[in-house]
Amino acid sequence: MDHTSPLEKTLRGIAIALVLTFFLFPIFWIVLMSLQTNATILRMPPSLVFEPTLANYRALLTGTLETTAGNLDIAFMRNLGNSVILSLSAVALSLLLGVPAAYAFARFRFRLGENIAFTLLSFRFAPPLLVLLPLSLYFKHLGLTDTYIGLVWVYQLICLPLILWIVRGYFEDISPDIEHAYRLAGYGWWQTFRRIAVPLARPGIAAAGLLAFIFAWNNFVFALILASADKQPVTVGALAFVTASGIQYGQIAAAIVLSVTPTLLLALYAQRYLVEGLSLGAVKG
Amino acid sequence: MALLEIASLAKSFRREPVLADISLRANAGEIVVVFGPSGTGKTVLLRLIAGLEEPTSGQIAIDNRDMADVPPEQRGVGMAFQNFALFPHMTAFENIASPLRALNGNGGVTAGVGKVAKLLKIDHVLGHAPRELSNGQKQRTSLARALAASPKILLLDDPLRNVDAKLRFEMRLELPKLLRQSGSAVLYVTQDYKEAMALADRIAVLLGGAFEQVAAPEEIYNAPHSLAVARLFGDPAINVAEGRIETAADGVRLALADAALPIDPAFRVHAGRTVTAGIRPEAVVIARDGGPLSAVVEAVTPLNERTVLLLKAASGWEFLASLPSSGEAIPEAGGRVHAGIRPAGLHLFDRESGRRLAVNGREG
Amino acid sequence: MASITAAAHIASRPASRRRLGPRLLPYLLSLPALLVCIGILIPFFTAVYYSTLRFRLNLPGLKGFIGLDNYVNFLSDSAFWNTVKVSTLYAGLTVGVELCFGLAIALLLQKPTRFNNLASILLLLPLMTAPALAALMWKLMTNPNFGILSYLVSLVGFTDFRWGSDPKTALLTVTLVDVWVYTPFIMILLLAGLRSLPKAPFEAAALDGVPRSFVFFRITLPMLMPYIITAALFRLLDSIQQFDIIYSMTQGGPGDTLMVFQVQAYLEFFQYTNVGRSAALLMILWAITYAVSNVFIKQWLKLRQRTHGMT
Repeated sequence: MDHTSPLEKTLRGIAIALVLTFFLFPIFWIVLMSLQTNATILRMPPSLVFEPTLANYRALLTGTLETTAGNLDIAFMRNLGNSVILSLSAVALSLLLGVPAAYAFARFRFRLGENIAFTLLSFRFAPPLLVLLPLSLYFKHLGLTDTYIGLVWVYQLICLPLILWIVRGYFEDISPDIEHAYRLAGYGWWQTFRRIAVPLARPGIAAAGLLAFIFAWNNFVFALILASADKQPVTVGALAFVTASGIQYGQIAAAIVLSVTPTLLLALYAQRYLVEGLSLGAVKG
Repeated sequence: MALLEIASLAKSFRREPVLADISLRANAGEIVVVFGPSGTGKTVLLRLIAGLEEPTSGQIAIDNRDMADVPPEQRGVGMAFQNFALFPHMTAFENIASPLRALNGNGGVTAGVGKVAKLLKIDHVLGHAPRELSNGQKQRTSLARALAASPKILLLDDPLRNVDAKLRFEMRLELPKLLRQSGSAVLYVTQDYKEAMALADRIAVLLGGAFEQVAAPEEIYNAPHSLAVARLFGDPAINVAEGRIETAADGVRLALADAALPIDPAFRVHAGRTVTAGIRPEAVVIARDGGPLSAVVEAVTPLNERTVLLLKAASGWEFLASLPSSGEAIPEAGGRVHAGIRPAGLHLFDRESGRRLAVNGREG
Repeated sequence: MASITAAAHIASRPASRRRLGPRLLPYLLSLPALLVCIGILIPFFTAVYYSTLRFRLNLPGLKGFIGLDNYVNFLSDSAFWNTVKVSTLYAGLTVGVELCFGLAIALLLQKPTRFNNLASILLLLPLMTAPALAALMWKLMTNPNFGILSYLVSLVGFTDFRWGSDPKTALLTVTLVDVWVYTPFIMILLLAGLRSLPKAPFEAAALDGVPRSFVFFRITLPMLMPYIITAALFRLLDSIQQFDIIYSMTQGGPGDTLMVFQVQAYLEFFQYTNVGRSAALLMILWAITYAVSNVFIKQWLKLRQRTHGMT
């Protein structure tokens, strides 16, 4: 039964509205900025009424920036491409490696498995630089600095634990008798894995993959240390862009919008699984 | 040669023994019921035969082939699980088809599925997903899947447990014919003794991790090997009391609850011994003209075709009698009666071991 | 009794010949995960080793073992203590604010109405933004010349509010960004916890006419504790190691007002090329997070068991 008074309901509504404003305003404002020319941006006081322009986006997409001082080449689209390549590859690899491993951890009790799972979990909370800084020296020796392969491998540090802990839970939730029934029907373990375990765990695998993609995309420090301009994803690229382009605020805003949109859209799509993903399977949403 | 042969099978989980020295044979077309209270290892035994667990020691042979290194999918075993274990993302048809496809690819699948589905009367729901089926239909689908590829060994893990009473009753009538027709050696697990007696060619009573007795249902009921076995069969449960074997001029008697009950003269060899006696309630006879055991009727409970009486002997021993409701007049509560015991329902057991007392001086 | 005499002819081998295939299987399947593990542990132990060295990349000749000197030197280093102070302050402030704020929002959105659900979905967006990019967004908004926030605070009298470039307000600014990004994390965790609480105690309290504050403090809060602790520890462990937001915003400045552990370590490595000191600093940070996370992981595993009902 609902005992709340109309006053309370109103107050609640106002409170939620304020909260929503606080959390959504910056995104809204940056989108606005991305549609404004520099002149509009610099005009004070800021106003919501202006003539929107797509020039910023055009500049980013075509890669050239027309300024009063001449034409600048912007490599931002390259950063965007890097983000896509790195995130997709990292997630694909981590799914390939992680799903069978998650199955092993879920179905078999073996000491090595517990140790691996525990180590990966404990390093989730360890300072990344602790691993990255020595790694950067190793990479130099091995010639892996600024390569897609090196970066995708390092991204496994982010993606693999996520896959392992989330998908493991989904495999654990499948009744073992179902798999046993399939074995007795005449199929070996690989077919059972492919035709029973994986399809039944598909929501979890999708969720883990989406989350891994978001975390890989949003990563900053890995690429900062191990990549140079050539292979940098948008997170690092945007920062460099700010420094390089100086006063082109509209383009900076547009770059931020382009960088942030993919993960925001994915988050809206996968929001059901976010609680579980973020708590690494400890809490079901 | 028996289709299934188990020799000295043992299984422990982390040093905790569950099964010890299990030996059994089952022939094609035979239904062996593995019966026992919950937690005694019945399901473990099935899983060992299916290859889902490895034995700690001992042998399992199917069709004369040692199963020591054979994985489950190659054993020719069909199993129906207690909670059905149907593949949720496949239709009932596909569920049943799976063992057929493993065997022959896609050839003859439709016919094979149709045949067994018709036998189990589920041919009209084949297109449904498991979650759309009733419990009874799920159970039949599970059975159909186990039967589909005509396995050598059929393992049924308490399949009627999660099914409503009416269906359970129906299936108890249909199953024996179905199972014998399949030609498989059938191992059927249940905790319900009535189910065991209705379905079994032989019952293997599993107690304390070993087979206490393996015999046809009548023998189990009429000649239980131990008090424990006797207790498991029969409703109401068997009456238990201590008595002493005494010799008298006209035969051998059992002195129990201040009465002297006549027993087989061959028990003379145990004269003087105190034993545990088990008396089946239906073996208690209330005769008008008296019997050796005098008792007062404490309560009368009519139960359809039988009436159960709670009787109290002069010594204070309370016991149950089960009389046919439509037979001789049922005594009223508070009345005094003189009861006799039919010898067939009187079983003597060693007081310490619980083992059946044999008349040739030995136990067991 | 089943006769086993005929069956005795089957050779009684002990079942020690297990099937090799399935035995090896779990190890094979987890091999890649093992490799990644090793890939983490090798640099880790390298860092441990480096922390005991005098090692500067631009002075390779001076490389040598100095035991715990790097650590000892920190004790008398004011820059180190500044790092400790700033990091602790930052972690305490952010987690404290986020916990209160997140709990409040979770309580507001507790009822699973369509509106509340929509609101909680929208509130996830800041969490899904890359923190480095969030910092950039806020940098734009707090730009003294055209930033909307600078404008808004000027309306209430702060005409020259310098946000991130002012030592006095820098910490507040990055805290603000952190709160913006991470409060939703606490919120959805606590919301999930709130919604999973059993209804019975609350219904009983309502029937008994128990005042709301009592219900909150004596029923809701205690039952929510595992989730609160999980959320708090998660965030604490992340906050004390914050890098992305601070580096993107000010690279640790102005001066050293925002020199948290990882930013300091980064600069030691790349600017001063002092590998030894950098490693030692990170080891200290690691020790702190390891101690805390060890306690926490047990709690986390317990929570997980509840969800999946397994070991």
